[in-house]
Amino acid sequence: MREVYVVGIGITTFSRLEYPLVEIAGYPAMLALKDAGLSSVDHVYVANMGAARLNKQTGLASAVVDHLSLTPAGAETIENGPASGASAIKQAYMAIASGLHDTVLVTGAERMRAANNLETTDFVATLTHPLAEYIYGVTLPALAGMFTRLYMDKYGVTPRHLGMVAVKAHDNAMLNPFAHLHERITLDGILDCPEALTNNPMVADPLRFYDCCPVSDGGACLILASGDAAKKSGKPMIRLAGVGQATDTHAVHEREDPTQLLAVRGAAGQAMRMAGIKPGDVHVAELHDAFTILEIAESEEVGFFKKGEGHLALEKGETKIGGKIPINPSGGLKAKGHPVGATGVGQAHEIVTQLRGAAHKRQVKNAKVGLTLNFGGFGNNVVCLVFAKE
Amino acid sequence: MSHAKGNRYQCAKCGHINYPNRTLCRKCRHSEFRPVALPKSGRLLTFTHLSTLPGDFDVPELTLGIVQLANGVRVTAQLDIPRPKLGMAVDGEVQVVRKDEYNKYHGFVFRAK
Repeated sequence: MREVYVVGIGITTFSRLEYPLVEIAGYPAMLALKDAGLSSVDHVYVANMGAARLNKQTGLASAVVDHLSLTPAGAETIENGPASGASAIKQAYMAIASGLHDTVLVTGAERMRAANNLETTDFVATLTHPLAEYIYGVTLPALAGMFTRLYMDKYGVTPRHLGMVAVKAHDNAMLNPFAHLHERITLDGILDCPEALTNNPMVADPLRFYDCCPVSDGGACLILASGDAAKKSGKPMIRLAGVGQATDTHAVHEREDPTQLLAVRGAAGQAMRMAGIKPGDVHVAELHDAFTILEIAESEEVGFFKKGEGHLALEKGETKIGGKIPINPSGGLKAKGHPVGATGVGQAHEIVTQLRGAAHKRQVKNAKVGLTLNFGGFGNNVVCLVFAKE
Repeated sequence: MSHAKGNRYQCAKCGHINYPNRTLCRKCRHSEFRPVALPKSGRLLTFTHLSTLPGDFDVPELTLGIVQLANGVRVTAQLDIPRPKLGMAVDGEVQVVRKDEYNKYHGFVFRAK
């Protein structure tokens, strides 16, 4: 197999975007093409989850490739729920590594705020098992709430630990011009003060408002290339060194121990073995913190900390920028935002920016190896990517 | 309709009860199943009070949980329990849990034993 490199990146702000979905996909692609110094590519993958339902648009890849005037390049839409972005990058990796293509553009885009809140809640809830979960009113926050209660009971995680994840995410997002939430929060304001329950109401107890990511519009793009094509671009050589993917039961109640995220463990293990690294070799990570508890649980399943000790590392500041293993310097899904189909590409955009040394105030010093974890459903389809600077 | 009555499917080869049902058994990949009735009682494994609901629920909050039944099978369900506690004993029955414009959906609702 051939080596695969990232030669171009682009991103929109994650927020409410009053543009057609093809433009949300097209703008970061235009930036990435300029970044790579390319005017054409061999193939286009578009990562998206909700176009058909939320935006009444099907055949999105065909629309995007034409909108970008990249025809006659091949184009496909990749839908793998909230892990669509990393799945699309994986497809691009395979296309280049196999020798089928030399340059592939992956753009992720979502326009969720075009629909009202009830519609969006129901749309995301369709990720759950239709007969065993969805009919009861189960949503992703409901699954996360039940998971959190078990995690607290088993490992001693408290609402204060969850709040610390949220405060860190918001602090980091303040340093990221593309983040959805530019709002500094404090533990006092969301947990301790007399107005805390008003500021931070319960959503799916024990999870509160500030434990949950926002509903975001947004787009992000990566252009991947073979080694020869990457050398011509003159860009820093950032190699996609590891790719892993694993699945778990659709219905969460079927898992032998529902506090174990086996697909996270499996995907991360595969990606790190392929890259020839161990968890301790990773300098910066973007983990899928759609809910604060997930940053803690995933940091353990990836192998940064022992099971049940992620919240203790958080207490010590080990996951802050400047800590032992900075997690979500972008602000994460929690504060950077979560445009579902685009999120995995957005995570990779942040890691490539960090490895290029171009993250300005949120830069992790001497970052040479970075990891993304993109979590589909409630951990039933997970994709992990490892990037390395050469 | 056996799903609506609370029946689940037991693998004809290894005996594993698959819930939700599958084309191939989760334990042994066998493809033949027989319907079995589930026990009505169990213990509450976890729960949440959900206050942001999809549009077809006209209640302000739902209490949802995962129950481990007496035979070890787990089910996700609605709870009609004001103050649930982890590990509490519960009894369930099958009733309408969701309605939309065209359909009624049946599922488990558990109450304190």
